[in-house]
Amino acid sequence: MATNIMDRRRINGPARSVEPLYGPGAAGADPFAGGRADGRGLDQVRAIYMKTGPLSGGQHEPSESAASGSAYYEQGRVRVSCAVYGPRQGRRSNARMGVFDCEFRYAPFACSWKRRSHVRGADEKEISLMLEHAVAPAIRLEAYPKACIDAFVTVIESDGKAATIAAAINCISAALADAGIEMYDSVAACSMGLRGAQWVADCCQAEEDAAPCSMLIAHMPSADEVTYILQHGKATPEQTDQAVQTCTNMCTRVYAVICRCLQASLE
Amino acid sequence: MSGVVVTPGRRLGLAAEYEAGSGTYVRSGMVYASILGTRAEEPAGDAGGKPTVRVERRNAKFAVPAVGSEVLCRVVRLNPRAASVAIMMVGETPCQEDFQGIVRVQDIRATEKDLVQMTESFRPGDVVRAEVISLGDQRSYYLATVRNEHGVVFAQSAAGNTMVPISWEEMQDPRTGAVEKRKCAKPF
Repeated sequence: MATNIMDRRRINGPARSVEPLYGPGAAGADPFAGGRADGRGLDQVRAIYMKTGPLSGGQHEPSESAASGSAYYEQGRVRVSCAVYGPRQGRRSNARMGVFDCEFRYAPFACSWKRRSHVRGADEKEISLMLEHAVAPAIRLEAYPKACIDAFVTVIESDGKAATIAAAINCISAALADAGIEMYDSVAACSMGLRGAQWVADCCQAEEDAAPCSMLIAHMPSADEVTYILQHGKATPEQTDQAVQTCTNMCTRVYAVICRCLQASLE
Repeated sequence: MSGVVVTPGRRLGLAAEYEAGSGTYVRSGMVYASILGTRAEEPAGDAGGKPTVRVERRNAKFAVPAVGSEVLCRVVRLNPRAASVAIMMVGETPCQEDFQGIVRVQDIRATEKDLVQMTESFRPGDVVRAEVISLGDQRSYYLATVRNEHGVVFAQSAAGNTMVPISWEEMQDPRTGAVEKRKCAKPF
């Protein structure tokens, strides 16, 4: 009987551990030999289109149901929209600091290879938490004691998981700025995939499936701080180091695009 | 430099040369913008000092109550110990969504606190001007109406007419002449 009693309070690793199995990856033939399918350079992200205020009535008088701020973000075939509500009274409150909550959802038709359930999946919860951790450091939460800021992200079309998360981070940053929330800096994010020994920027789904490792970095260029790193797969420390360098540089370029769009929205 | 659209995180100047106004923050000796808006400068006062730099937003829509801020709220519920109110405005800015607040019976008047009766101070539906005295518990902000200019600013009688204050403690319906008790705010 005693063996059936589980200790649920501590993290119990398995009694025996085995090394994960990696696919052939770099050893196999390169399916993208001779450039990328869409003719981009290796360090080129897909074309970005962004618009603020589609769900919040733009410059018009705010109505009761409209969001405080919103943004639509497109990067190639990745299409994401985000609505920000608040600062408003939250369910869980903290007298010193505000609370930032994020909900990430795929639309049922977002992934071309399978229809998503309308029930919130485990991966969506996980990504919601990732987005909170990536964006919260940029918000001046101490300026909103006891208040709650909510962001709702909907993926309209997904093309590469890491790229979708990066797009979601960029979209939230823009929506927060549109809402007039006090922030230290805008967060810009960028993803990369490994192909052979080379890093390829902003992978689409087919490229990501073939990549043995993918990397996502969220970065605040003005403060020069990295808020989130996500590495998925196997890479050598040198490769990881190189990816962090390249990715932060690309984040700065994405940041410039976001800032230009935000400025244009006010002019 | 004024009138330029800036985004959060944009450097506005040295903290040694500028005072950080609204919509800005200071980090490691530099003033940065913290909201999306246009940059504006205010020259230094006669007493000397530094010019103030701030970032303005045309439709600054949001307000969060803080300790000491003056709020306008509507009475939602009464019980003998406290009145529940919905905070509708903070200072001059309307809240997009109501915040919940509480006026405890001991925070209604400054004097003779033990004699204050809740039903003789507020009624549901009254609009009250009050001051935030504490961020309160998990749910509500704590408000007080002890000052003269705080209290009921708008109330309707049982007949449904808007009443006018006739003393610190009474309001009258000008049509029916009925007198009801309230904690009146001093008219400006």
